[in-house]
Amino acid sequence: MKVTLISIPVRDQEKALKFYTEKLGFLKKKDVPLGGENRWLTLVSAEWQDGPELLLEPAPNHFEPCKVFQDALMEAGFPYTQFDVDDVDAEYERLTKLEVDFSVKPTKMGTVKFAVFNDTCGNNIQLVEEL
Amino acid sequence: MTFYEKELNRIRSIVYSNEGQINTVIGIRNYIENNYDLDLNLELLSHTQLISKFHLLRLFKKYYGQTPRQYLIDKRIEKSKEHLTIGLSVTETCFAVGFESLGSFSTLFKTKTGKSPTEFQKEQLSRSEIDSEFGTLEY
Repeated sequence: MKVTLISIPVRDQEKALKFYTEKLGFLKKKDVPLGGENRWLTLVSAEWQDGPELLLEPAPNHFEPCKVFQDALMEAGFPYTQFDVDDVDAEYERLTKLEVDFSVKPTKMGTVKFAVFNDTCGNNIQLVEEL
Repeated sequence: MTFYEKELNRIRSIVYSNEGQINTVIGIRNYIENNYDLDLNLELLSHTQLISKFHLLRLFKKYYGQTPRQYLIDKRIEKSKEHLTIGLSVTETCFAVGFESLGSFSTLFKTKTGKSPTEFQKEQLSRSEIDSEFGTLEY
């Protein structure tokens, strides 16, 4: 068994695709129509294109408990997904200029530094740098 | 303060209250990061931070969740991928990242990545030839 896919629930796949590619810098890998507005839409890291894929799935629109859980995480400020970066401060600077909204500024905690931003699609996302 | 921030504060007070220990393990990790190509062992690492090797092992595992050895091996494999990608030979790569035996490097590489160093390199080089007619052999 291999770990190749990480799923992120989003309310609007097209909006999520724009945010994750244009602001965060991911690349689109797969885009399969699944009927209606729904797509099997995956992204990869630009610097790790054969790494795990990020699935932007429209689950909250079709499965109420997912929506409830996502809303509760958002309200609690909880990130359910995190990405590794080399330099949290630099990413914070870069993304702030692109008007990405951070709920937690770069913060050192023990052996890591992290920050949390809003992906505008219903999720808090954490960036982590190991110190 | 959000629920998440409260939780972070709670965890911080349980796990990260000892500033001295944190500085020690960060120092060790930095040392490994900068010297992964040398013949590192617990003895040497413990001398860099003036603590016993048993204490070092315990502390590193406590904060990073793996032993210094495991951390070092992952670092070397990550670096060896970079070397192979830019066209160093498997032998050159093996020694450049601090392994001493070609056989054990190849076996370890295959265990960790699912491919032998040669297979990995072939894939990477053929991929970069698609990107550029000239490949990426200059470094």
